[in-house]
Amino acid sequence: MSDTNLQIQTQSLVQELRRGVIILAVLSQLHEEQYGYSLMKLLEDQEMQIDQGTLYPLLRRMEEQNLLESNWRVESSRPRRYYQLSEFGEKVLQEMATEWLRIKSTVDKLLSSKKENENETH
Amino acid sequence: MKLIDLYLDEVRQQLPLKNRGDILREIQSTLMDMIEDRNPNPGQEPPNETLIAVLKEFGSPQQVARQYSAENYLIGPRMFPLYLNVLKIVLFVIAAFNIVGVIIAIVSQSGYNTGVFETIAQILGSLFSSLFTGFGIVTLSFASIERTTPKDWKFDLDQEWQPEQLLKTEDKQQINVPGLAIEITLTLIFIALLNFFLDRIGIYFLSDSGWVSTPILNDNFLRYIPWITAYAVFDIALNLYLIRKGFWDNSSVLAKVFINLFKIAVSFAIITGPDFISVNPSALVALNFDQTLSASSLSRILNIILKVLVGLSIFGLVIDSGKRLYDAFLKGKDTRFEIDID
Repeated sequence: MSDTNLQIQTQSLVQELRRGVIILAVLSQLHEEQYGYSLMKLLEDQEMQIDQGTLYPLLRRMEEQNLLESNWRVESSRPRRYYQLSEFGEKVLQEMATEWLRIKSTVDKLLSSKKENENETH
Repeated sequence: MKLIDLYLDEVRQQLPLKNRGDILREIQSTLMDMIEDRNPNPGQEPPNETLIAVLKEFGSPQQVARQYSAENYLIGPRMFPLYLNVLKIVLFVIAAFNIVGVIIAIVSQSGYNTGVFETIAQILGSLFSSLFTGFGIVTLSFASIERTTPKDWKFDLDQEWQPEQLLKTEDKQQINVPGLAIEITLTLIFIALLNFFLDRIGIYFLSDSGWVSTPILNDNFLRYIPWITAYAVFDIALNLYLIRKGFWDNSSVLAKVFINLFKIAVSFAIITGPDFISVNPSALVALNFDQTLSASSLSRILNIILKVLVGLSIFGLVIDSGKRLYDAFLKGKDTRFEIDID
């Protein structure tokens, strides 16, 4: 497989991996209310890049699922839509965070055991 | 900022109608935030390059609008496996009928002058036309089920199966969704045949000029078509309701009995009405049929046979209605009574 193919395939798989954790990342930053652009900057500052086209529709879907609450407010002469975790969203975030830690620990173990096996072979 | 206005207009045209204004307002607000953040001359009109860079980063109007559009299927993934199964069955039946029809027609010919290739082309043409019609009707049936049945009412092929459900099946009179989907499809084919292709119901034979068909249903049959179509439509409506409901409830049983009574009335009218089958003498000659039998006497025999069959169907409908009423309103009560005694 050529380097380009390897790169394309890896990029696509990494994107898929990231897609799974975007919801968790967004929920984790909405204990306090944020509007779309401020949320994106907040995530970016913590090295979590989210495409604009993904973030805004995602916020709407999460609101439809009752995970978030939103309201329009006019600030610095511009209307902005502010999002914040709902009570239900708080509970879901807790559950998801626990599950995330469990998955992370399992995958860490799997990856480290693979490394150990490789070292033993060499 | 003409560029931004033009961009928002483009996005607006492609957004779903639902919440269009609200989505657009949010996109506009975000774009303004981005421009303000990137403007090299704060407090002044941003340069065109900044606007272009922001819009490029935000994405093309098509990309942005697509992210807000809900997934829209003609036939969704939950219904698709069943759709494929029904399609296979319907296409197989249509192909089988065509092939059997062709074999009968060829065997019954004493000789024909049309070329082999011409005959094969006609057979293939007729077969493909029937297959496409079947494909269209099955697809339309499932597309209508997809649109009329809310998501959470649709049966889930991946749902966890519980063996205990078998014990409850009899009491709840659960419905057989694949069976009903096939029934809806076949009923639609029947309605289409009756209303648009009545002349295709007839005797097919090869003549010197190629395949010819003569209809066997005469004008007397036309008076029954609206009534037969009406009960077929009622049947489809009831089946769609059953797919939504998931089991036979009392109102659906009563609706089925009402449809059966309607069918009985129409069948009774057919039996007592004038003969509705007429065999064309030319078809009889072309098929090399028994020459001692005239077309009118064959018509008479066919009319008697069909009227006997319609009579038998009345008998079947009465039995079916009685059984459904008993199962729905009496059988359950008997069981409960016995349990009370125990």
